[in-house]
Amino acid sequence: MLRLLVIPLALLILLAGAMAWSGSAAEKRADFTFVSIRDVYTLDTNQMSYLQDFRLAYCIWEGLYSYDGMTLKPIPGVASSCDVSADKRVFTFHLRPEAVWSNGDPVTAHDFAFAWRRMLESPGEYTYLHYYIKGAEPYLQAYQAYLKDPQHTPKPDFKTVGEQVIDDHTFKVTLSDPVTFFFDLMAFPPFFPLNQKSMEPFAKRDPVTGNVTYDGRFTRPGVVGNGPFIMTKWDFKRRVRLAKSPSYWDRANVKSNSIEMVVVEDPLGQFLRYEAGEVDWLPNVPSDVGPELIAQHREDLRLFGGFGSYFLSCMSQPKLHNGQPNPLADMRVRQALAMGFDREPIVKNVTRMGEKPASTYIPPDIFPGFKVEPGFTFDPVRAKKLLAEAGITGNRLPGVSFLVRSSSPVEANTVQSIVNQWKANLGLDIDIELIESKIARQRLNDKDYEIAIADWIGDYPDPSTFTDKYRSNSVNNDSGWVNQEYDSLLDQAQKEADAQKRYALLEKANRMLDVEVPIIPLYYITNQYLFRDNVRGINLSPRNMTMLKGVWVDHDEKLVSGGNG
Amino acid sequence: MARFLAWRLAQFPLILAIIYLITFFFVWVAPGSPFGQGERQLNKDAREALEQKFHARSAAQFLEYYPKEVIFHGDFGPSMQYAEWSVNDILKSALPISVALGLFALTIGTLLGVLIGTLAAVYRGGLFDWTSLSIVLIGISIPSFVTAALLLSIFAGALHWFPIGGWGSIRDMILPGIALSLAPMAYIARLTRVSMIDVISSDFVRTARAKGLSRSIVIWKHCLRNAFLPVLSYLGPAAAGTLTGSFVVEKVFSIPGLGQHFVNSIQNRDRTLILGTVMVYSLFLLTFNLLVDIGYALVDPRVDVTAKG
Repeated sequence: MLRLLVIPLALLILLAGAMAWSGSAAEKRADFTFVSIRDVYTLDTNQMSYLQDFRLAYCIWEGLYSYDGMTLKPIPGVASSCDVSADKRVFTFHLRPEAVWSNGDPVTAHDFAFAWRRMLESPGEYTYLHYYIKGAEPYLQAYQAYLKDPQHTPKPDFKTVGEQVIDDHTFKVTLSDPVTFFFDLMAFPPFFPLNQKSMEPFAKRDPVTGNVTYDGRFTRPGVVGNGPFIMTKWDFKRRVRLAKSPSYWDRANVKSNSIEMVVVEDPLGQFLRYEAGEVDWLPNVPSDVGPELIAQHREDLRLFGGFGSYFLSCMSQPKLHNGQPNPLADMRVRQALAMGFDREPIVKNVTRMGEKPASTYIPPDIFPGFKVEPGFTFDPVRAKKLLAEAGITGNRLPGVSFLVRSSSPVEANTVQSIVNQWKANLGLDIDIELIESKIARQRLNDKDYEIAIADWIGDYPDPSTFTDKYRSNSVNNDSGWVNQEYDSLLDQAQKEADAQKRYALLEKANRMLDVEVPIIPLYYITNQYLFRDNVRGINLSPRNMTMLKGVWVDHDEKLVSGGNG
Repeated sequence: MARFLAWRLAQFPLILAIIYLITFFFVWVAPGSPFGQGERQLNKDAREALEQKFHARSAAQFLEYYPKEVIFHGDFGPSMQYAEWSVNDILKSALPISVALGLFALTIGTLLGVLIGTLAAVYRGGLFDWTSLSIVLIGISIPSFVTAALLLSIFAGALHWFPIGGWGSIRDMILPGIALSLAPMAYIARLTRVSMIDVISSDFVRTARAKGLSRSIVIWKHCLRNAFLPVLSYLGPAAAGTLTGSFVVEKVFSIPGLGQHFVNSIQNRDRTLILGTVMVYSLFLLTFNLLVDIGYALVDPRVDVTAKG
């Protein structure tokens, strides 16, 4: 009998041990807490590309410029002022002397030069934004060529790049073309400075080329930043905790003493935590509960237009990946498909989060002064006529199927609805190919698809963040659509210093996309936040960007609605 | 016994090496790349820089670097998706959590499972047998994402008896522990019941009763020991599975355990992390199967572990 008890007893002892081994002491609730639906991928500002990564980057670092928390207009950050040349190509930034790193070092022009140079030598997803700087792209290519074959290729000279440290507090940047939104870029994490000294212990030097790479672990708690907060804790896939930085130059305007990002991947858990008052802000309302909350007219649910759209990417090259002729290469077929289904039932019955049906690639109201004419809407009669003109007689588009990512049920239902409508309205039978998302991504890269759902969210407040995607040489141009006139319009716009003339050129280019439809607009993205009325400092700008520096909870505010926190 | 142990342990490295290579093969031929995220494509230079950094230009480069590191330094390398974290970091932070939760679930599951199974066998055909059998059947049939979500909504969401997910205290462990224990409990109850019925009707039980031993002593001491053997062999793989975490339960209760990494690492094509999790799971499975064999010998002295076959 006793021996039988040994097993449960041993289990219990092990259990106690394991609990002690894995547990961690609970901390006081932070002044402001919010849910992130996934953990940060990287806090290396040179490598990041995800929203939640950027959100924390704005806390830990600061660029030459920063964003106003409510208007998202660029405002001086580390730079207190900037001289711009008449041709808008030379920017001389004057760094404020009171800006310091969290280790006490002053923030100097060298820190920017270091981070920006690293961006070209160990490129990341947003390196292409540095190509506006004179000599940056040729330097990157020459340097990468040198890394591949150091014996026979000369090491390029960094002096050829238009980034010049005049003195500790003066940084001169020369661009190859005028960039009207350059201050916005200066506030964007790929242009943030880095403290080289503190990264030195993580450096690894290649003995042959002298190329330096850094172990990603330099971004763990204790990472040296120059922003409003310092990171005090990062438990992988659990939480990131920030504390107000005592050395930040503008600390008087940092509203919360501590901020915690809680990682909750499960939609139900995200919502329950908010309802229980454990978190103050849900930046992504789960699609399972969103429609319910809309029906309840919850006042703490904030729905607002986003900074991009969903669309059907159509392969537009003359030949399909397998060499067959591509029926979608005929513009009329794509136009017929665009007119062949009604978007209204999709946003009303499938996506159900207050999305607006789209007829254009760029949402019409996100760039003030930028005119977006309506594109194709539901018109089955005209669509059928176009198909006949294009010589499509049967009920098939030979070789064409619809690629759908299996990870999203909403997306699969959307596609089902579109395909059913095409069948009913145009008599076309299009097969659906359900596929895992990484494979779908790969096939889009390889242009090994015909029709697929895709989306695009802009990065900076200029239409070129959308139009550049469909340049014929852009890596992000999955459609294979090539149009010389489009490219030339973008080139002209890039050289144009006059903002109004520039917009006119981009409007024309954008119109070409909406007419030739290499991408068929579906609906405009919406953002959904849940936060109670006592939360201050969260803007409802389409860009879905929050400067946590100015966010806080006003505990004096009497709550009338939403949750019981 | 010592020779048996030594022999079995000596097989471990070979088995693990074979598992590593087979896993690597599947990981490498799977389409899709660990680099590049979301809708934005990495340009060629950035992709190549990353491939170089992670020793992933070619299968040969990968195999030249990583296995050596695993063997000599026990280092699985950096995660290809979460560059700030090495696979070892991830395993170190996630494994203890899954082990703690798994042990808790396994303890409840085994104790209650054996108890229910035994009582059901003793009162065979009675009310208790029928109800427990139905409950057990439901326990096996309902997928854990349903039970977990129900437990969370009712006991944490509506009644506020427990915290809504997270990890850090004993209270955090109870709901996910229950959710996780249901399946093994159900299996164990069924296994115990079946073998108990077998044992109860055997000759030695009748002899023991005839000798005047009380019913409870016979059942709990003589019968259970024999009836426990099939449960024990189930416990080996069950322990390896439970202790390395459950994707569903961890996700619903937002527990930062190892289970999520099995699924996510594959979705992300995080090659180094896939290999790390597979190796941990394999090691657990091998170890627990070994422990089960030893346990056999302890429970039933007739079992000779050194015997061939």
